[in-house]
Parts: sequence; structure tokens; C-alpha cells
Amino acid sequence: MTLPFQCIEAYSLPTERSCEWAVFGVCGSRLVVQTSSGVTSTWPTEQYPTRSTEPADEPEGPPGKRVKLSPPADQIMNFSCLTLSNGKEHIVAITAEDKCIRVFRLDSENQLQQLSQRCMARRPCALAITSDDSTILCADKFGDVYSLPLQYTPEDDMTETPIPEESETPAEKDYKPAASVLTVHSGRNRKVLEEQMKQASKGVKKSKEPLKFKHELLLGHVSMLTDIAYARIDERSYILTADRDEHIRVSRGPPQAHIIEGFCQGHDEFVTKLCLPTPGVLVSGGGDPHLYIWDWVNSRLLNKFCIRDAVSAFMKTLTEDKSNLEDKISKTVVSGIWNVPATSTQDVILVACEGVPAVFSISLGGTNGPPVLGQTIPLTGNALDVGIISQNKEFCTAIVSIDNIHKPGSTTEIREDEGPNRLQCFSCKGNEWHEDSDVMAKLEWLNRRALGDEGDSGTDSKVTSQSPRRADEKALRDILYGMENLRKRPGAED
Amino acid sequence: MPGEPAKRTKREEYKSTLGEGQDAQLPKKKFYRQRAHANPFSDHSLTYPKCPADMDWASLYPAYVVEEPQDGSHDQKEISEGKGNAITKQVEIADIGCGFGGLLFALAPKLPDTLILGMEIRTSVTEYVQDKVRALRAQHTPTTNASTHDFQNVSCIRANTMKFLPNFFTRAQLSKIFLCFPDPHFKQRKHKARIVSYTLASEYAYVLRPGGIVYTITDVEDLHNWMVGHFEKHPSFEMVGEEELEKEGDVCVGIMRKETEEGKKVERNKGMKFVACFRRAEDPPWP
Repeated sequence: MTLPFQCIEAYSLPTERSCEWAVFGVCGSRLVVQTSSGVTSTWPTEQYPTRSTEPADEPEGPPGKRVKLSPPADQIMNFSCLTLSNGKEHIVAITAEDKCIRVFRLDSENQLQQLSQRCMARRPCALAITSDDSTILCADKFGDVYSLPLQYTPEDDMTETPIPEESETPAEKDYKPAASVLTVHSGRNRKVLEEQMKQASKGVKKSKEPLKFKHELLLGHVSMLTDIAYARIDERSYILTADRDEHIRVSRGPPQAHIIEGFCQGHDEFVTKLCLPTPGVLVSGGGDPHLYIWDWVNSRLLNKFCIRDAVSAFMKTLTEDKSNLEDKISKTVVSGIWNVPATSTQDVILVACEGVPAVFSISLGGTNGPPVLGQTIPLTGNALDVGIISQNKEFCTAIVSIDNIHKPGSTTEIREDEGPNRLQCFSCKGNEWHEDSDVMAKLEWLNRRALGDEGDSGTDSKVTSQSPRRADEKALRDILYGMENLRKRPGAED
Repeated sequence: MPGEPAKRTKREEYKSTLGEGQDAQLPKKKFYRQRAHANPFSDHSLTYPKCPADMDWASLYPAYVVEEPQDGSHDQKEISEGKGNAITKQVEIADIGCGFGGLLFALAPKLPDTLILGMEIRTSVTEYVQDKVRALRAQHTPTTNASTHDFQNVSCIRANTMKFLPNFFTRAQLSKIFLCFPDPHFKQRKHKARIVSYTLASEYAYVLRPGGIVYTITDVEDLHNWMVGHFEKHPSFEMVGEEELEKEGDVCVGIMRKETEEGKKVERNKGMKFVACFRRAEDPPWP
């Protein structure tokens, strides 16, 4: 049994005669890569040797509860995000459970090497890298965006004084409640104040240890951030941030990230993805029926495209069982938007939705027309992520990560037999996408063998014996399909 | 809890009498009391416009509704082009966390030509202010007491401004923001819920015009230091002294000290009041 890749990324370096590329995938807590020359690498090479001593029977109890406990030191951490630097030298990834930002690179032998790991105070949700590849912008679950230098060595900490996160009045010599008898008015609050005074006399409570590496708070929303993008237009740099409260904010880039330039307002539901296909154009999607296309520099809506209609039309051809199909369609969530490098005169994007076994190719139509659905590409399983290899100016290949565990069209039902492929490849010629068996053949290792049973070496089989596939179904579902959970439930609380 | 049902019935009874031609009667505060805290992070079932242009200002400020041009010509300059809900002036002053509206009703006669909006997250407190606005407007009729203020320039809405401030106001729309006696959120782990932070200061700067002022007042010294620290750190704000503002003819600080409900309570308890004001600086040129 093999688990699907929750995220994939690809890069290509077209040379005069051919094209070198590499496809990265993350599967649970492991990062793998395969290059066009056939070299493969896995990180970490050996998975948690300490864990092998653990009993195989993990408690079957409700999985939700364990999360709340303080995580053990060797807790499994799963990758949740993968980004390539603009120069394609570095791969920056987030591991969710330990809130860690990890920087990797391929060394001269094309082997994965972790350069740094930095654990943030809050769980990072999305990453962007500045155009000069100097800085990582990290958007977190608390709504804040931090900047960290991409290049990092632990020795830096010795020379640089850590920047305090916030001016949180570090004068903690003697804890004194901020409230006083004068500011507290109700009886119950007075009692609380007395309690606090009592606590204070017992001794100083240790506050959270500040982060030891260089990081700077740039901006923040009072809502969970879902995506971040960095853009440069005419020497001006911008940060775009999207949150769960329908907001898309446009701020200036560092060092003026405290200045808000505008908001792209119009979404009715949470925003999950931002994509900048051409300078000045933003495509955003989320829990809304529509994708929104913006002239984001001027906070102006250019067009909308009803992705829910496209999903609906496709899902109706897919299944005979029309029961609860409407409900499913009404919960359509955009899980990814990718820009297809110019293949023709038109700008084309690929769009995926959670639990939908298809990728939608949409022509944006530029300034002189509405966006048009070019093609619905059916898949053998739900689309999870897309990486794009640009072979040359006219020809590119989309590597789609497929959910081979859940039934196509469902995020909950498990297949009886594991799906055949974890990847599917499509090449775009003209404006048509066709399955590409050449690239697929080259990616055979990544598709079927990486981290799988068919592993050839001893280490590999050891890996599978304890690979994350033991993780229960819910844990897997949480890794693959977290976005629908962002929808607000009306009247849940007041 | 014993007494709860009686309280609810009394409130319902009271509110049902409000509709019966008692417009001019001032609401009674005791029927509107509500717990002093609200969680700004939760998904309250709030209503808010998608963007400022969608905001229905006309129902809040009916005296300022744009008259339909009778001859079809557009000689009147429309400032906000909503959906037929345009008003001739824009809101310029926001009292964030207005509570029972003491400051609003004191400011309104002092700044009769400026639209003032109170924003409060607690439903029933918001209702109190809205009922009071209605009563004060009804009390004022040109025939009986033309000398009193008509309170057409003040209104109140329920809103979570920490999340949705830019849904109500456009860039540089406001000239003044009041943050009076905000919830101190004493516990360290609740500090993120404070109405002032470095990151929220960016939003205040966005809706304020250059030269606009943020006024803060609190009786909690620690919170005062916190607010000063965060605004001072923000490059878009510089602190201004009270005296300097008074010299400029600004009457707001005095009113804020004396007229806010919380300010009066602190006065009675002989507590301390800490005031800090910050001026919105011009945005620097792009680097």
C-alpha cells in the first residue's frame, strides 16, 4: 500500500537541447524527489529510528483528543506545504504538527539535504518567498505574517541578538496583576483578582520561550490566514494575504509591510487560494461558487467564473448516484489554482477542488472577455496537488497528485482496492491537455515505488513497516482535505 | 439561575412597549445590560457589508440621504455610490467599542456637521444606543425645541471591528477613531484579543486619513503602556500630547475624559485615567 502525496512541486530548467526537471512530493512526514535523469532521493533517509521500539498498536481512541496533549518530542510531523525558491535552489516546506519551517536543497548528487529547521510559535499555513530569494514570508494560523531569512545557520544566533516578538512587557521580575482594586468592579472579578495576587506571591510563572532565530512580524489579520503571495510590479513589491473571513489584503512589501494598499472585497466565503498568473492579475478562490479575477493593484474586480457549475457538470457525468450530490456540490471548495506558463496567447490556469477527481483548465480571456472553461480533465482519483514542468516555450506538463486511497468524488469513503496511480501526467499542446505516458514512465518510481511496499532495499521495507499509513483514516483525511472545515457554520455561536 | 426567566420576560415586555408610539422615551439601561466581554475571534453571526460601497448608510443617517435628482441631472455630487443608499456626507468619526454611547451623545452636538458612528460588538448594548438615538431624534422637532441638537449625525451598529473594519470604511475615510476603555484582557494569553496591536494599527492607519487621530483612554495602566508601545512602534503613527490637541482646538479629549460611561464610573471610584493620542502620519514614498 502506498499513500498519496499531499503536496507536490516541480521545476524545470529548459536547456538548449533538452529539459532538466525534478518533481518533489511529500507523503506524510517524508519528502521525496525524482529528477529527469532518474535520480531519486528521500528525506529523512531513515524514518524515526527511535519509533521502531514503540509498540505497533497505537491506541484506537478518538484521535482528536491526542492532538491537544503536548506533543511528544518524536511526534510524527506531516508536511503541509511545499514551495520552491525562484532560483529553484531551495525547497521550503512546512511541517504542521511541530510548526516548523524547513529549508532543503538538492546537493551535487541530487540528494535531499535539510539546511535548516525553524519552529515557529504558531502553526504556519502558507509560505511565499521574495523575488530575490532572500526572505521567507510565513503566514500563520493566528493571522500573522513573519519574515525569516531564507539562508540560516544556527551560528547566526550567537552573533545576532534575537528580536523580541512583541513588546510584551518583559519586566517579569515580580508578577503584578495588571488589574487593581480600582479597575475591577464586579464581585466575581474581585475574587479572581485575589486569586491572581495569591498566585503572584507563589512565584513567577515561566512564560513561553522566545524564538531564538531572526524573525520579524510584518503584518497581521484577526483571522486565520489561508494563503500568501509576493509580487513585484515596477520596482514595487507587495504582499497579498487571504484569510478565513473573506478578506484579501494587499500590503506593501518589506520594509513597508505595515502599509495597507487596499483590499480585494467581494468574496462571500473564506478564501483558500491566491494565484498571480500575470503581473497585476489575481485569481482567488475558496468556499464561494465563483473564482474571482482581480486587478489587485487597483482593488478592482475584473471578472468572475463559476467553478461550482463546472464541478456540478462534471460530477453529474461521474456518478449515477444523485443522492446528496447537490449537497456535495454546494460545499465545493477550491483547493488549488495554478498558473500554466504561457502555452498560447491566452492565460490558462488549472483549478482543483477538494474531493473532485478532475482538474479544470480555464482560459482567463485577458482584458477582453470573460474566463472560459477550456477543458475538464478527468482523473483516476481526487486531485490533491499539481506541479508544472515547463518543457519549452510551447510545451508544458502538469503532474497531478491523485488520491489513491479515497473513492473518486468522496473525501470519506475508502476504496476497496488501492488506486493504480498516485500521479497522472498531462501535457498541454496548443490548448489541449493529453495524458503524457513518456513523463509518466519516467516518474514510475515516484508514482508507484517511492515509500511503497515494492521498495527494493532493506531500509525501504523497514520504512513501510511504520510508515504513516498506520495513521488512521481520519488523520489521513485531515492531511488531505482540511479546507472544507474552514467554512463557517451559521449560528454556531453568538 | 433563579431570576433569569423573570429578567427575560421583563426585557421582552419592556421592548414590546417600545414600538407603541413611545419613540421619544429614552431607553432604560437596566433592560440592556450585557456581559462586558466578547470573544473577537469567534464567528459571531454578524452582518457586515462585503465592501464599504455595499453599506446601507441611508438607514443609519436618514437626514443625509441623497435626494433623487428630479430633473435627471447630476448636479449633486454623490460621495458614496451604494445601491441607491447614498448619503451626502461620509462617516468621519468611529467610536470603536462605544458601549452605551456616552461619548457619541456628548460629541454629536459638539460636532454637528460630522457623521459619527458607534461600533459595538455586544448585541443588546448596540440596541440600547440605537433606541436612544431614535428617542433623541424623535424628541427633537423643529416646532417644539429647535434649540436642542437633532442627533441626526450619530448612529450605531453592531460590528466586530477587529475583523471587519475595512468592510465599513474606505481608505482614508475617517478623521478620528476613539478607543475608550477597551476590554483590558488581563491574561497574557488573551493579549491577542486586545483592540490595539501593532498589526491592527495598520488597519486603523488604512481607514484614517493622514493627520487623523486615534484617541485612547483606559483606567488600566498596563493596557495604557501596551497601547502606547504598539502605536509608537508603528511607523504610521506618532504620539501627540493632549495639550497640543487642545491648542489645535480639539475638544474631544475633554469629552472623552468626562462623558464616556466608563469614564464616569472611574471618576466615581476615584480611579486613574490614562489618555494617549496618536496622529496618522503621511505614508512614506515607495522605497
